Amino acid sequence: MMQDNTAASPAQKKRRRITVDPITRLEGHGKIDIFLDDKGEVERALFQVPELRGFEVFSVGRPAEDMPQITSRICGVCPTAHHMASTKALDDLYKVTPPPTALLLRELIYNMFMLEDHALHVYILGGPDFIVGPDAPAAKRNVVGVIEKAGLEVGKRVISMRRRLRECIAMLGGKVVHPVFGLPGGVARGLASDDLAHFREVAREGLDFARFTLQILRDIVLANDDYVALITGDTYTHRTYYMGMVDDHNRVNFYDGNIRVVDPSGDVYARFPAQNYLDYVAEHVEPWSYVKFCYLKPVGWNGFTEGAESGIYSVAPLARLNAAQAMATEEAQKACDEYFATLGQPVHHTLANHWARVIEMLQAAERIVELVHDPAITGSEIRTLPTAIPTSGIGAVEAPRGTLFHHYETDEKGVLTKANLIVATQNNSARMAMSVEKAAKDLIHNGEVSDGLLNRIEMAFRAYDPCHACATHALPGQMPLIVRLRGIDGAVLQEYSR
Amino acid sequence: MTGPNGRALVLAMGNDLLGDDAVGLHAARMLRCVAPGHVDVVETGEAGFALLEFMHGYDHVLILDAIQTLECQPGSILRYSREDFTALLHPSPHYAGLPDLERLARQSGLHFPTHIAILAMEVEEMRHIGEELSPAVASALQHFVRDALQVLISWNGVS
Repeated sequence: MMQDNTAASPAQKKRRRITVDPITRLEGHGKIDIFLDDKGEVERALFQVPELRGFEVFSVGRPAEDMPQITSRICGVCPTAHHMASTKALDDLYKVTPPPTALLLRELIYNMFMLEDHALHVYILGGPDFIVGPDAPAAKRNVVGVIEKAGLEVGKRVISMRRRLRECIAMLGGKVVHPVFGLPGGVARGLASDDLAHFREVAREGLDFARFTLQILRDIVLANDDYVALITGDTYTHRTYYMGMVDDHNRVNFYDGNIRVVDPSGDVYARFPAQNYLDYVAEHVEPWSYVKFCYLKPVGWNGFTEGAESGIYSVAPLARLNAAQAMATEEAQKACDEYFATLGQPVHHTLANHWARVIEMLQAAERIVELVHDPAITGSEIRTLPTAIPTSGIGAVEAPRGTLFHHYETDEKGVLTKANLIVATQNNSARMAMSVEKAAKDLIHNGEVSDGLLNRIEMAFRAYDPCHACATHALPGQMPLIVRLRGIDGAVLQEYSR
Repeated sequence: MTGPNGRALVLAMGNDLLGDDAVGLHAARMLRCVAPGHVDVVETGEAGFALLEFMHGYDHVLILDAIQTLECQPGSILRYSREDFTALLHPSPHYAGLPDLERLARQSGLHFPTHIAILAMEVEEMRHIGEELSPAVASALQHFVRDALQVLISWNGVS
């Protein structure tokens, strides 16, 4: 419940700044500043994130081989994505191709990570919006609400499934957060034949779990007309370019392939290897944000605008499904057909990210089953030793939150002289800023701000599953939402807290 | 100890690439050498619901972390209990806290620790990537370990 702690006179309300700031005790996270004009209409909404400084300085002078460990430690949320993108950058740096078994093992670990990470978002992070419903009271918009709606067994099942997947990841790669798995040219550890039965059992459970999740989506979300109307409503819709990784048949692939980009009509705009990313991806700087806004270099930066003339693009589940021509597995393809039949193709509705995420869970689960039944998965040849003299290496994967690029340059001994990362959320930052502003403009009128309205604005960026600090952890418990209305001189006119 | 597995958990949270943010991890590494045999010391860079997976099965959990209240000197050690977080409703499911973990556990029929203590050190710098602790935090580290040990000993005494 929001509280209005101080009163403001009508004159004071003329031009106000509203700050939506989920502050943690430890570190800042995303913050939204909403500026109102003299009529109480939204003039501009700025989505800001705190800056994490010094990564490049920290990296330069270190051996490139350390990067899969270092970069996975940056982020407690998607360590496996950083670890794998970094490992692939090392393959490229030393111009070495891992043996088939190593590639299968990497893909296995990666799909297990995608499945458990997407599960966390579907049920715990986005679920309160998507499963409980956007208009539910704040007290219900949490995981307890999800369990009430989806059934008592759900919570236990989510926790158990994630734990079992993470145990498998740990069996091969050590700790989940600090994996020691990928090496240039291969992996550090193979899958023992004795462990195969366990992996197959977890794979089967994972597939059941993904099917169960799709059913929940159908029963609770898609059966609700109001919800479908919200997803397809204009508030959350943008016509932009979409980017995602695809295999040789233009099917969704999380671990490897070419980067494919489609335009707002769904026609292919570009298809390129990750090594050419600098020909396509450029970064725009705004004075109000630490984040650099990615855009398609050949199209150009045209401000925060939609359409084929604007280089703004999107990544993450919605974008991946748009950018590919098909899913890579049978059941996921069926689910994808239903998705496009309902929403059109390409899908421009931001909130459909949740649905796309469930379809991706299914693909990850099916692919895991395929991989643990591939006879080569227990092969003993797991590394090709690198021999080339290093100069430059670029690697990319599809992180749960979208395309992730790692780019290293080194001296002839493999010591880093330059490091550049483009993280998934950065690829999405321009569209995310547009989503927040559009939601604010559609939902705030005459200066009226309520708990429900702010939640609708927060929903816009939660759909992207943004991960900003790349270092998120928090002392559990105290995360108040503080909303400040400020006058032009910066003085606080009103303060809300909950 | 009365926990289902008869053991106590020290859960140290932090990012060891973010300067003072890693103070809990540093403390955990020192504590591991001196902690009683029934204590498991775990370091993690994770947050939110992932922590439930660590805490599940323990009755006594001591959390070590960094904090920035800006209300006391860096190096100060603050102690919180489970009750300090009772009344809070988190605004976004991204920032799930102890009350949410407990509710999820109870709702799902999972065991949740009955004794939770939180020791957090006020820190100075955790925005720059780096592995060094600031001087005030580094010099207070031994006190952090001592306080953690006292919590563990007090639990052992009552069990």
